[in-house]
Amino acid sequence: MSAAPPGSDRPGTATGSHEPASPSPDHPGTATGSHAPASPSPDHPGTALDPIVVCRRWVDLRPSVDPLTGAVESDPRTSGASAADDAALEWALQAAEAWGTSVVAVTVGPTGSQAVLRDALAAGAARAIQVDLGSSGDAASVAAEIAAVARALSARMVLCGDMGVDRGSGAVPALVAAAMGARQALGLVDLTIDPAEPGVVTGWRRLDGGRRQHLRAQAPFVASVEGASIRLRRASLAGVLRSGGAPIEVVAATGPTGGRVPSWMPASTGPGRPRTHVVDGPDPHEPAWRRVTLLTGSGADRPALRVVHAEPVDAAHQLIAALADWGEWE
Amino acid sequence: MTAADVTRPAADAAGAAGAPPGPPLPAPAANAAADNHAPAGDFDAVVVGAGPAGSAAALVLARSGQRVCLLERGPYPGSKNMYGGVVYPRILDGLLPEWWEDAPVQRWVTRRATMTLTDDQALTIDFRTESWGRPPYNGATALRPEFDAWLAAKAVDAGAVLVTSTTATGLLRDGPGGAVTGVSTDRPDGDLRAGIVVACDGVNSFLAKQAGLHGPVDPANYTLGAKEVLAVPARTIEERFGLGPNQGADFEIIGCTGAIPGGGFLYTNRDSLAVGVVLHLPALATAGVRPEELIAGLKAHPAVAPLVAGGELVEYSAHLIPEGGYDMMPALAGAGILVAGDAAAMCLAAGIWLEGVNFAIASGMAAGEAAAAALAANDVSEQGLAGYRRRLQDGFVLQDHRRLRHAPHLLLSERVQRRYPQLACDIVEDLFTVTNPEPKPGMRRLVRRQVTASGVRLRDLAADTWRALRTFG
Repeated sequence: MSAAPPGSDRPGTATGSHEPASPSPDHPGTATGSHAPASPSPDHPGTALDPIVVCRRWVDLRPSVDPLTGAVESDPRTSGASAADDAALEWALQAAEAWGTSVVAVTVGPTGSQAVLRDALAAGAARAIQVDLGSSGDAASVAAEIAAVARALSARMVLCGDMGVDRGSGAVPALVAAAMGARQALGLVDLTIDPAEPGVVTGWRRLDGGRRQHLRAQAPFVASVEGASIRLRRASLAGVLRSGGAPIEVVAATGPTGGRVPSWMPASTGPGRPRTHVVDGPDPHEPAWRRVTLLTGSGADRPALRVVHAEPVDAAHQLIAALADWGEWE
Repeated sequence: MTAADVTRPAADAAGAAGAPPGPPLPAPAANAAADNHAPAGDFDAVVVGAGPAGSAAALVLARSGQRVCLLERGPYPGSKNMYGGVVYPRILDGLLPEWWEDAPVQRWVTRRATMTLTDDQALTIDFRTESWGRPPYNGATALRPEFDAWLAAKAVDAGAVLVTSTTATGLLRDGPGGAVTGVSTDRPDGDLRAGIVVACDGVNSFLAKQAGLHGPVDPANYTLGAKEVLAVPARTIEERFGLGPNQGADFEIIGCTGAIPGGGFLYTNRDSLAVGVVLHLPALATAGVRPEELIAGLKAHPAVAPLVAGGELVEYSAHLIPEGGYDMMPALAGAGILVAGDAAAMCLAAGIWLEGVNFAIASGMAAGEAAAAALAANDVSEQGLAGYRRRLQDGFVLQDHRRLRHAPHLLLSERVQRRYPQLACDIVEDLFTVTNPEPKPGMRRLVRRQVTASGVRLRDLAADTWRALRTFG
């Protein structure tokens, strides 16, 4: 619940837009696309009694990489919800408080994922549901399960983190919207929740080129938020104690999605790749061993390590200068 | 039931105009947020710190039928711990029979060595036995994040309520200067009231200090342990250290810390090595040397380098150790509060015996028993909790500490730290150096020659020998 970020584009300006996330033949929806809602009516705003579904993904926040084999090892003890999922929970709680409704936390995953539901219960969620899909569900399956829960709850507002911290596809929120036939407001960096207008949020999101877009979403909608948009409240001690023994509803997955999500979505997401880095090739007339050493930097003189004691601004300038010297900064 | 069959509670029939048909939605009052300010549950006991001492205390209390809350500031038990050494869990024999069946150990220690180093010499006393590799075992290398989580889970299984990511910020008292009645925490509405508080909050125990149980802090009673964990394949470890699968080695090292009193260590984990130094705090502060420089020097020593070669650094950490022993222990009990583990300086640093986890567990168990008895008798006054100290005195915890109370001062002296290692190495080098055509010197002549060359006075040597016999005898 905050004002527009300073320096952001105002609605209606040349670089910004004020696009209500309302799908209609005349208004295709947000920049990321939207899908015509099936039910309920898109023009029906949320009511004070609509529960808000917030998605929680259980992920290893500090996976260890075996330095000898490169194998990535996950540990339940270091697993939890991402900052983006925590931000989504906080926005959901604030909306629920403003509109006098409740929050239902949903996770799709193995038994261990109940930890993120207990965190939500401790912070103030009224109910927690785990869809037991194991850890193998792809984005479409996960989205279909969340949408199924939302439909069963007659929930018309779903909040998610914008992207997993483990190089997830970032497609789940959009797929949930598609499966629900709801509007979508994705990648929000700020939200405004008006107590006088239940079921309607306005928010800002980033666009390419440093621009921002102001959105107004009316239930039914799916919104995803960035992790830095807000910080999750610290749960009270009573909440933590209560959440430890609170019941968590475990439901089985509904199974194949049966076309509830678009078939044109990619079947899988590949591993993350570092951005390409253009390297000028060595002189082709050099011997092969020389070209290899030039390409790899093997045996090259390295800049001497030095410790810099400086004020933050000066230190930043020196870091940039060093990176430029090393060819890592243009 | 599937996701599609999730139902809404039928408590509220108001519904929403235009909402799709379905069971009624929960009323706004059902928000957990709305009643999150309910008072925290009352407990008979609050144990602060889910390390070995805290979890042992919570386990004992829970088994005695008390309602116990185990508070841990980290996101999970052991998450704040950097200990990478040998644990001696036989103290658990009575509490958790056949604990070795599921305890998360790295390797069972079957080889124990004490190395004496100079700049280019090494004298090692090396012992190994297969019996330590069989139940009931002796010691094991363990990673405390795993070990602590395991022991805390036992307490939870027994009925303790584990609350993580929550820091106890102070004591609640029954009036100014009155009995302790709980702790405040860093959570909203975070006061937690209980009949008794067991402070196992580590070496720098704020709770024990706030309770007035600690005297003035003397840095001379503390050392800093700094450690690197180096990834090395399991088979390589076994080849280098001459170990079988699951067997481990424990190397304690003296003479590797330069002018700073202390020592070094090298332990074998399953597929990593823990190598590091323990440094006397005031001397470290004045030496102008960083701990990692000393670790680098240790790793580069000719006797150590082949053992750690090729290891990939995966972790570096440091932690204070209360090595002052018996003489630095706080008062162990006050009205409504007990202190255990590192918070009570229950760490034995006596040269050949470097033990902490077993003392922590034992003190935690004793605290749990004493607290349960006091709660049952409805007397948590300082007198009502005096059974804690009696239990420690009747067992090895205080008996060992009292007997070895002078060991830290002896072991950290300049002669033991620097002169004697050099003298011992020189004597042995002289002994094994063949100087033909010179005939071999007699042992007495050889020792006398090296003692004279070292500058060690016989009077000091005799005095230190006498003190060592009194301390360890």
